[in-house]
Order: sequence, then structure tokens, then C-alpha cells
Amino acid sequence: MFKYIIKRILISILILLGVSFLLYALLRLMPTDFVEQKILNLYQAGATTSDEFIRQMYKTYGLDGSIIEGYLRWLNSALHLDFGNSFINQRPVLSEIFDKNRMGTSFFVAAVATVFEFLIAIPLGVTAATHQYSLRDYIITIFVLIGISLPSFFFGQVLKDIFANKLGWFPVSGMKTAGITYDSAWDAFVDYARHMFIPILTVVILSIGSRMRMTRTNMLEVLNSDYIRTARAKGLSENRVIYKHAFRNTMIPLVTSLAGLIPSLFSGAMITETVFDLEGIGKYALNAMTQGDIPVIMTYNMFLATLSVMGILLSDLMYAVVDPRVKLA
Amino acid sequence: MEKDSINKNEKHYLTGREVREIAKQNSKKMRELEKRKMRKCKEEEFLSTMKDPSNILEIENLHTYFFTDQGVVKAVNGVSFSIPLNSTIGVVGESGCGKSITAMSVMRLIQGPSGQIVDGSIRFRANDFKKDSQGKYIPIYEKDENGNIIKETIKDKKNNDVIVDKIKRDSKGFPLYEREEKVYDIVNMPIKEMYRVRGRQIAMVFQEPMTSLNPVFTVGNQLDEVSLLHIPGATKELAKKRTIQMLEMVGIASPERIYDSFPHELSGGMRQRVMIAMALAAEPRLIIADEPTTALDVTIQAQILDLFNELKSRINGSILLITHDLGVIAEMADYVIVMYAGRVIEQGTALEIYNNPCHPYTIGLQKSKPTMDSSKDDLYNIKGNVPNPINMPNYCYFKERCDKCINRCSGDYPNMVKISETHYVACHLYEEKENE
Repeated sequence: MFKYIIKRILISILILLGVSFLLYALLRLMPTDFVEQKILNLYQAGATTSDEFIRQMYKTYGLDGSIIEGYLRWLNSALHLDFGNSFINQRPVLSEIFDKNRMGTSFFVAAVATVFEFLIAIPLGVTAATHQYSLRDYIITIFVLIGISLPSFFFGQVLKDIFANKLGWFPVSGMKTAGITYDSAWDAFVDYARHMFIPILTVVILSIGSRMRMTRTNMLEVLNSDYIRTARAKGLSENRVIYKHAFRNTMIPLVTSLAGLIPSLFSGAMITETVFDLEGIGKYALNAMTQGDIPVIMTYNMFLATLSVMGILLSDLMYAVVDPRVKLA
Repeated sequence: MEKDSINKNEKHYLTGREVREIAKQNSKKMRELEKRKMRKCKEEEFLSTMKDPSNILEIENLHTYFFTDQGVVKAVNGVSFSIPLNSTIGVVGESGCGKSITAMSVMRLIQGPSGQIVDGSIRFRANDFKKDSQGKYIPIYEKDENGNIIKETIKDKKNNDVIVDKIKRDSKGFPLYEREEKVYDIVNMPIKEMYRVRGRQIAMVFQEPMTSLNPVFTVGNQLDEVSLLHIPGATKELAKKRTIQMLEMVGIASPERIYDSFPHELSGGMRQRVMIAMALAAEPRLIIADEPTTALDVTIQAQILDLFNELKSRINGSILLITHDLGVIAEMADYVIVMYAGRVIEQGTALEIYNNPCHPYTIGLQKSKPTMDSSKDDLYNIKGNVPNPINMPNYCYFKERCDKCINRCSGDYPNMVKISETHYVACHLYEEKENE
């Protein structure tokens, strides 16, 4: 087991190296870069620049050499744990990305949404499967399919219109009420939660679908298996058959998929955050992307890549925990 | 006319409108039957009486249908037979003739809503626990010579001493409760009531030992479950003790080790032994073995069959053995039922079926069995296939494959003809003899 984990970690490092090179190359191949945009802005402001100045700019931002050269330079400093400064505001990348408010907001939204997603999707999937082809199954499936199909920028706006504009129950956007001072930490939390409600609702409704479909499919497969018939033949009540014998087996793929969710907890929801004007990591990364802020995007994506690789390893380890048939070697 | 009816049978496609029409009719019927399965009712509604008190199971005119979009599949179409106490009944027939569905009907394990028992009755003489007016089981108390109940001191949950009436316990430490014989009509029972028949009164051993045990629970866990469920007063320790005893009884060498193993760590033969142990755990009156040896190799087959033979003497009940292996039947069964296309076509004692098979299908089955002394290269086979279960003809189902057809075979489906006191056959050939 220990040997297996070490082996997997070594392989993961190779994967991360490959990922980092691809990422860097793709970023450099973008049709525009940070310097170009900056000079364009200068021109629009009416200033003129010399070729020498432009060359100097490229040199300053480390974009003058070839892709390989630039990559090696990035890799070298990254291995020394120096991830550089953001092109946009010259602050250190690490403190920018792992800013408590920025990462914190995205993590809060994603974590709460994931909890609710599982809490709602699994019971829905189980009932849909145990009442296959019934009215209940059809209704759940239809609503869930609507959820999968709606684009988040549209659905977010619809919810915003209903709950914020028409009903006025929740604030329209932002993260706190402007100009407010809180009497206690609890008031601050309530205000924060009120702002987060519609974004979380959007994420939950949009993500329930696939999780519910997965539960339903797994449950149906398990319910048709021979050991469920054995459990019934023993004289167990239908509830015991479903919630003891079938559920444990249904949970195997679900539990392991949980580990694969780790990166999405930290990645932020780009579009939802933009729609609701939340200062999350997703919105920040999107902004960095459009401006060609290479250090930020590299660090952000490499962080997610590391989490993904760890998530996959963790989900393989989880398999061995929840399924007695799986032995890692 | 004959040609027309054949064409009708061979028509395998339906128009969309026809399919919708069938689906509509089916869903109405299925909903009605499903509702009946889920209903709540008093016990009197499904109590019945046996026709012959020496039987423990009587199946009469059983119809189990599957409502599909292509039409109604009559998987079991009017089966009647009975199982006397302390006997082994063998059911033979080729694949798809309704053997397993008959067994599943007895357990009410037919997968709804498409599969339903439509008609008929299955009467079972159960040996159930007696209940008092509050619905609790009545314990048997230990008495001294004068007939007074002996008192004993036990500790309650708060660790205080309390004096209670001493309940009689069996040799394994399980408390004894009063029992009574009742005859249930299984077809009329709501599914919830079936929970106390399944496992406790009738147990089943399935065909596929490889997939019949839940892969994520240990063997011990799955076996304990049966004792905990069906033996009143069972504790975890008692259940474990019993499980280990059961595992020993079915010939597993190191029961303590197997108790903690997962099913995938055992071989097929071992798993089938575990399944048999599971079936025995609650001391059922009837064990249904649905092709218990089909998935096993021949040496293990022999061992498992020996085990069944040995068990029969121990459990004081009966075995319903389903198989397509005539050799197994010859070794095991007292009484044989031959099924074809959802109907019983011949029944009799094992000797009668072997020495004097009457139905052309039974004769064909006998002939297609390989024997040691046959010098022929090819085995005999019965030509053709079982007819399409949708749109069954109204004449003898075996007519198209039969090599002994007479004129009368185009007429109605043959009735059961009595050959001897115990031997019956459904064939027009013998009707004539009877009439002569």
C-alpha cells in the first residue's frame, strides 16, 4: 500500500511537469499577450512608444525569449517556490490567489453547494430508481434534466430576477451590504449568507442533475443484481433491502467521485461569480486570463492540476476502502 | 387455417399503434395487481386450508404473466402440483419453460410491476410463531414438577437485579416460543406479510453462487442477518454462534475464518455452501433450490447434492429442486414434475418417469441425455424451439416439435390423463387408450 502510494506520487510529478509545459506553451501561443494590451492602452491614451521601449517591456515581463526558454525560467523559479508577481498589479501571486476573501468566497460557495448537491441528489436518485417508470421517476427526471440543460449565466439571472428583483428576499449582487457596520459576528455572517444564497442555489440546481442521474443508474444496476434477490429471499423488508444491501453498493462510485470533486471546491465558478459579482477566485482567474497575466494563470492552473492528480489518487485509495474486492498493489 | 395460425405466431413486429394499445392495457392491469400487492389486510383474508393435510405446499392453477410492450408473456400458465411433507420434488424442463418463475412465484419474488401472479393459489402450511393479543410472541416458560413457572434473576439495562419468569431455551441458547400451524394462501398475501414467510418458512438457494452474495458485506454479516431477523430473542452473539454452526454443518472446514471473509474470497462451491447455510439458518420447512449445481463443476456438484440429501433428513421439511439435469433428478427426487412452455406436461414418481416416460417431450429429454454406453457420435435433440411465449397456440404446445402427432393434436390443449395413481400426462396419445 505504502509502495503503491509512493509510486503513484512519482508518476503524478511527471504528469504535473507535462501539464505545466502544455499550459505555459498554450498561454504563450495566445493571439495576444499582456505587453501588447498594455501598449495598445498607451496608444489609445495618445502616447507614442519606441520599438526599444516595447523590447524593454517584453524583457521586463520575461516574454522575450522562446517558449522553451520562458518555460525553463518559469520552472526554475517555481521549483524555488517563487511564483512571481502578478503582471497586473505587481503583487505576489501566491498571496493574490490564496487571498482569504477570494479563495474563501469561492470555497464557501462550492463547499456548501456540494453538500446540498449530495444531500438532495442522492435521495432523489434512490427514489427515482426504486420507483422506476413511475410518475415520481418521470417528474424527478424531467426537472433534473431541465437543471442540467440550463446555462448558468441564464439561470442565474432568472433566479436573481425572481428572488432579488421581484420578491426582494435577497440582495441582487455583491458580497455585503454597502456601507453597513455589523453589531456582531453573527450579523456579519447572516448578511454574508444572504448574499451567497442565490449563487449557491444556482450552483446546486445546475449540478444536482448529473449526480442524481448517476445515483439512479447505479441504484438500478444494483437493484437488478442477484444479491438483492437473495436479500429479498431472506425475508428482509424492502427498506432494509434498499438502504442496507443496495445502498452500500450504490455508494461505491459516489464516494469515489467525491474525491474527484476536490479541485472543483477551489476552482471557483467563473460564470456564476461574474453574474452575481462575487469577488471569487473564478472571476479573478477569468480576468487574469483575458489580460494574459501568465504568472497568475500558471499558478492557479498548476494548483488545480495538483489537486486533480491528488484527487484521482485519493479516489483510487477510497475504492480500496469502500469496496472490499479492490486491493491496491 | 393451420397455415394462418403459424404465420400469426411468426409475426415478430408490431406497429407503433399496437404497441401503445398493448402498453395501455398492460399498465391498467399492472397497476391493479401492484395495488393488491401493497394493500393492508387482516390475516383472515389470506388464511386457507390444505386439500390434503399431508402436503406442505399445494400449487393450484398458477398463472404468472409478464406484461411486456410486445404482449403478455404467459411464463407460468396453469401449473398445479403439490409437495408432501418430508419429500423432494424435482422440476425439470428446458430453459424458459417456467421452472424458475414457478419457484419465484412461491417466494413472491417476481420482479414487478411487469411480472405478476395473475391467477391461481399457492397454499403453504406454515409453522409460525403464535402471537398474543398485542401481537407479541408467546414464550414457553420452564416449569418445575408442580407445574409452577421457575423464576430467574437477570440484570436489566441499568444493571439492577430483576426477577422474571424463566424462558425455556433450546440447546443453542435461543429462547423458545409457542408455535402454531397455519395455512397461508401465498398468492393473496400482501408483500409485507411475505417477509415472515421468506427465509423463515421457505428459503431459496439460487443458481448463481458467484453473484448471489452481496460483495460488500462479510459472509458472517449476511448469515447473521437471517438469524437476527427470524429467530425471536436472537442476540448478536447467539447469531454468530449459530452461523458458525451452520457453516460447519454445510461442510466448511474453518468456519471462523470464513465468517470474517468476503464472498469474493471464496470459491464457487464454498459460496454455494454459504448460500445453503443461509437457507438453513432459520430452519425453514421448505427449501427451494433453483438449479443449485448448474454453475458448479461436476465434483462439487456431487458434494452439494450429497449435502442436500443429508439435509433433508435433518430439517424435517421438503425440498423443491429445480434443474434441467435429469441425472440430478434421478439421484435426488421422490417425485418429478416435467414442465414445458409454462405448463406441467407430465408428473409422477421418479421411477415412473424414468421407466415409463409417456409424453413425447419427456421421452425426448430422456433420449437427449448422454450415456456411457451409447456408441453414437451425435446426441439426440428435440427439433425446434419452445414456441413464442406471446400468442401461444390453443392446441398442444409441443405439437410442432412432436414426432408422434395424431389428428387429435390439432384440437384443444390436452387434459391431464391418469396413467397410474401417481402418474399423469397431458397428451392426446393416452387419452385414446383411456377411452378404449
